Amino acid sequence: MALSRRRLLTGAGLAGAGVAAGGAGGYLASSAAPTAPAAAAPAAAVGDATVPFFGAHQAGIATPAQDRLAFGSLNVVPGASQADVRDLLVEWTQAAAKMTAGQLVGDVAEPNAPPLDTGEAVGSPVSRLTVTIGYGPSLFDDRFGLAPRKPAALAVLPPLPNENLDPAASGGDLCVQACSDDPLVAFHAVRNLARIGMGVVEHNWLELGFGRTSTTSTAQQTPRNLLGFKDGTRNIKAEQTGLMNAHVWVGQETDQPWLRGGSYLVARKIQMHIENWDRDYLQDQENVIGRSKVNGAPLSGGTEFSEPDFAAPGADGQPAIPVDAHVRLASFEHNGGTRILRRGYSYTDGVDPQTGTLVGGLFFIAFMKNPSQFIKLQTSLATDALNEYVHHVGSAVFACPPGVSPGQRWGDGLFT
Amino acid sequence: MEPPMSNSTRARRGKLPLVAVAAVAALAAVLAGCSSSSSGAGSGASSATAAAAEDKTTTVSISLTSQGCQPKPASVTAGSVEFDVANSDAAAVSEAELRTSDKSKILGEQENLTPGLSGGFTLTIQPGKYVVNCPGAAQQDWTFTVTGKATGADWQSVPQLTSAVSGYSGYINQNTADLVSHTQTFCKAIDAGNMEQAKLRYPQARVYYERIEPVAEIWGTLDTSIDGRWENPVTVASQFTGFHKLEQLLWSDNTLKGASALCAGLVQNEQQLLTLVKSAQYNPLEMASGSTDLVNEAATNKISGEEERYSNTDLPVLQANVDGAMEVVSLFTPYLQQKDPSLLTTINKQNAAVTKVLAKLKASPGYDGTGYVEYSTVLDAQRKQLSGAINAFAEDLSKLSVQVG
Repeated sequence: MALSRRRLLTGAGLAGAGVAAGGAGGYLASSAAPTAPAAAAPAAAVGDATVPFFGAHQAGIATPAQDRLAFGSLNVVPGASQADVRDLLVEWTQAAAKMTAGQLVGDVAEPNAPPLDTGEAVGSPVSRLTVTIGYGPSLFDDRFGLAPRKPAALAVLPPLPNENLDPAASGGDLCVQACSDDPLVAFHAVRNLARIGMGVVEHNWLELGFGRTSTTSTAQQTPRNLLGFKDGTRNIKAEQTGLMNAHVWVGQETDQPWLRGGSYLVARKIQMHIENWDRDYLQDQENVIGRSKVNGAPLSGGTEFSEPDFAAPGADGQPAIPVDAHVRLASFEHNGGTRILRRGYSYTDGVDPQTGTLVGGLFFIAFMKNPSQFIKLQTSLATDALNEYVHHVGSAVFACPPGVSPGQRWGDGLFT
Repeated sequence: MEPPMSNSTRARRGKLPLVAVAAVAALAAVLAGCSSSSSGAGSGASSATAAAAEDKTTTVSISLTSQGCQPKPASVTAGSVEFDVANSDAAAVSEAELRTSDKSKILGEQENLTPGLSGGFTLTIQPGKYVVNCPGAAQQDWTFTVTGKATGADWQSVPQLTSAVSGYSGYINQNTADLVSHTQTFCKAIDAGNMEQAKLRYPQARVYYERIEPVAEIWGTLDTSIDGRWENPVTVASQFTGFHKLEQLLWSDNTLKGASALCAGLVQNEQQLLTLVKSAQYNPLEMASGSTDLVNEAATNKISGEEERYSNTDLPVLQANVDGAMEVVSLFTPYLQQKDPSLLTTINKQNAAVTKVLAKLKASPGYDGTGYVEYSTVLDAQRKQLSGAINAFAEDLSKLSVQVG
């Protein structure tokens, strides 16, 4: 046993030395050390990039979507008090500020104590990590005296078309969305926040996203979802501040001033019948979506970024973009101008033990001014041709508070 | 959590000719040049009409006499052809039919023309030799030739494919008629308050629907009324009306209360479906992708046990999905034997593999008289084996569309 511990210790020491020598701006084993090597690095590699933690809005919403996601839903454990939750949010703020700046949450140095940081991100570039938190409707029940602070718009989503929800993949008192271009860094963030919260919160469910499915900035290429189609072509882009204010950021309209500058996060775990989809012939796949599979252009013509012409007739006299095409039914034109900021990721849960088929699809995340926006859109999708190939198995809604300035903590507005 | 579920399938549409729903006279629809896509009877009819109007229509006169039915002219170019049939005084002859040259198939006809009456039919007709036939005349068969370039979809000039399509139409009509009659039997048991009988009759009626489902789904609302499941696409209690609502009453709520009215409504919807399918028109691409859809259904909704979640009668309806798909394969067999015999061999081989796994789950008389064991008793390992066989089968079926479309 003693021998084993010595070996582990030696290994940790070596890892730390390697990072220091490389000076690549990754996480360092000692939390005291980060600034010097980072500053000494001659030119920051792509992975070194950080996203400012402090600001009017939380990062991870308007931030150009990173490639990877770790999303944790957590519940406050029975017996925890309002003070416990408040203190946890303070600790989380500090930890998130560190991790997003490329620092560990604590030292990996004391031989006779478990390392304060779990350590798996040591040496990994921060890779634009953002940590975004949100409060679920259940946080405002009678446990913590928060009922008077509950926003009227924050409620469990009503039953919606094409869903068969698994309670084990739904809801939660709190959520942590960690996004990074490095999956390990994103996972590390959720893991360490949960660890900090042990005794106050416990995991409800956790989802990893392995490929972004949305573009949230004009600087980004449009990625593809597991259907093989470009996704997010018509998404709101962070640069469109007018649209962000109109559709994404909570403003004066809310009944809870603490939420102004925040946003509502709707998460939906959407399982795809991947094998069935793969058997559909190309033209039908395109009719289901309403776009060309290869170049992403709407079926009404043009290029990827051409506006879809929903009235344009096809060769057969019917609309070129079919009446039940996904892009038609999901469009703001079809929904009285309703728009949301999508920020989803592809996920897989492996293989269905009963069928031997892949379990995976889209872990849909969207931000909006009011969850009613999502409700309206999903209701419109009742007749979506895509419903043959997808269904919703998980659902959650969270109110994400606004960003914090240095010295402020998450929860400040909520508990004072 | 309920087992994972998926939506029902839906009618496909696109630039390729898909299922057409022609509300025009059945005769004219037989060879209508453009089997346009449609999600409703009205629009299908209008596009068929529009397509016919695009080309100049040639008129052929046929005068029924005791001697025969000579078409004038006896040769036309391909396209829309209007056959005007008149009987001035031939007592022994009352009809004219246009048939394929081997006379095996009637393409269009005008019957019941007693002396003094006239009528006709219009077809979009492809190049080739045909026969005008008038039973009872001295010379019953008259050669009719169509020259020029093929019009409309390519498949319409391939006799093996037109024959497959017409066979499919017959299969759909027959199964829909059987659906109605077997549902009526099911309803009678409910009306008589006989729960046990009703439970036996339920799966017997279900199988007919599960063979023709991709066609029934062309009429989405009707499909929902007949086969909708609670969570999708119904979600509104008052709209949950069909088979599965009755299934829930019988097996889960263990009551017949309210079942009679629901069952009568179900029959009414099925009768409406019967009317619609009788004037529907199909094409090979849609048949092929429909067969894949059927087996996809088996792979997802049946294996998971979600479709018949209250009754656990998933196995006979799974078998029905496979049967409906194999009917399509069987109809395409003469064509595939020439076009792609190795695909045909593979599909048959995969189907045999499915049959083999299913055979292990057979029982006599079986659960609720279905010939199969109760699905809830099928172990995960068996389900996985069945799923593997079905998925492999579906994968090969999905290769049909490019061969026939």
